[in-house]
Amino acid sequence: MVWSRGRSERFGDSRDDPATSTRRQLLGRSVVAGAALAGGGIVLGPRARWAGAAPSRAQDVKIFNFALLLEYLQAAFYGEAVRQGALRGEPREFAEVVASHERAHVTYLRKALGGRARARPAFSFGDATRSERRFLETAVLLENLGVAAYNGQAANLTTKALAAAAAIVSVEGRHAAWVSDLAGKEPAPRAADPGASAADVVRSIRRTGFVGVS
Amino acid sequence: MSNVVREDVTLEQTWGELAQTLEAVDIDGALQETAAGAVRATRAGLFRRAFATLAGVAGLATLAEDAAAARGQTKNDIAILRFDLVLEYLQAGLYTEAERLGELTPKTLGWARVVGAHERAHVQAIKNLLGRDTVPSPTFNYGKVTSDEKAFIKTAVGFEDLTAALLKWQAPRLDSRSIVAAVVTLHSVETRHAAWIRHIVGLRPAARAFDQPASQQRMAELIAATHFISSRPRVTGRRRPKYTG
Repeated sequence: MVWSRGRSERFGDSRDDPATSTRRQLLGRSVVAGAALAGGGIVLGPRARWAGAAPSRAQDVKIFNFALLLEYLQAAFYGEAVRQGALRGEPREFAEVVASHERAHVTYLRKALGGRARARPAFSFGDATRSERRFLETAVLLENLGVAAYNGQAANLTTKALAAAAAIVSVEGRHAAWVSDLAGKEPAPRAADPGASAADVVRSIRRTGFVGVS
Repeated sequence: MSNVVREDVTLEQTWGELAQTLEAVDIDGALQETAAGAVRATRAGLFRRAFATLAGVAGLATLAEDAAAARGQTKNDIAILRFDLVLEYLQAGLYTEAERLGELTPKTLGWARVVGAHERAHVQAIKNLLGRDTVPSPTFNYGKVTSDEKAFIKTAVGFEDLTAALLKWQAPRLDSRSIVAAVVTLHSVETRHAAWIRHIVGLRPAARAFDQPASQQRMAELIAATHFISSRPRVTGRRRPKYTG
């Protein structure tokens, strides 16, 4: 159900402005049947109408900057986990491989955004990088969040940006499955990966407490 | 658990290995050469045959353009969804049969059980999106692939990697943003399936930072090379069923 929510919410901005709420009320009903998750089954509603603002270059910039925040966070997390040296065996290998992927995503997005790329915030991961258990738990959360964030914005992107985002989310999905298997969780828990609204993703990031107060 | 990562395995390698496996299994005695070799040698010819098979199966040739337009779905989107539907039928059938026969290792069977349920859900989801433009399932013959561990693994890795790559190719080519929103929720699940089966068999689940797309032509070639599609379904053509609910 999540992907049908918050279509019209703004990217990287968790505030609920009146225009957004109004649009959501007006359009919410038409998309609410978009996807329903019931048991193992999924329903991708026939002919639900997409209600987000029409794709544009300006909107791509907002979405890519939103994605960049997530990629900064992931790259920093795995980088620190590798440096901490608390990981051994396959979890360490996972951290090294995925750190390099997330750095490549950061590089790609920064290049695409040029001068409009947001600055890297300060992060502090506490004990999340200091034990295997906490590391795996956090990695599962961050990778699933990445998948939900990209899926939630896919239909808001222009064609070219969508092709790039698809190449990235594909790898996030692989990371999510890999680390879930490592952590003893379901690698593919559902038949469809619902998208999350930008506001929901930002809320989830805030809840981690990893992003320094700015 | 052993170290997962062997080496980077590209789509081309996956394809080549799958072709070899299918030849070794000799599904219907008709595979005279490896699919990879065949593709290189007679790419155009094979593609034409492959696509003709799929087009017939999916009823693309008989698309009722006017009816689609009346419901606001483009001919392009319907063609893409029909292609995906046939592919999901094929995967659902493959994994469901493997589960029913129960001859694979427990770990592989566990994967087939979960992923089979997902692909069946995808079939239903795409049917819902297509509405009256849906197409029936062809008949499949998987030969020994559903009971031979090695052949099954190769086939599963190949199909999951390629399905994810196919959806990446299709997503930016869809006209309807609603359908984009729906298809991407399936896409990332296919990447999870691919990573999971790779992890089970000791291949690197995420081989590179960006996953490349693969075209419908590539997928059509792969499907044709497997000879899994054993017959054409009834083609409903332009006639409307009397009762449509």
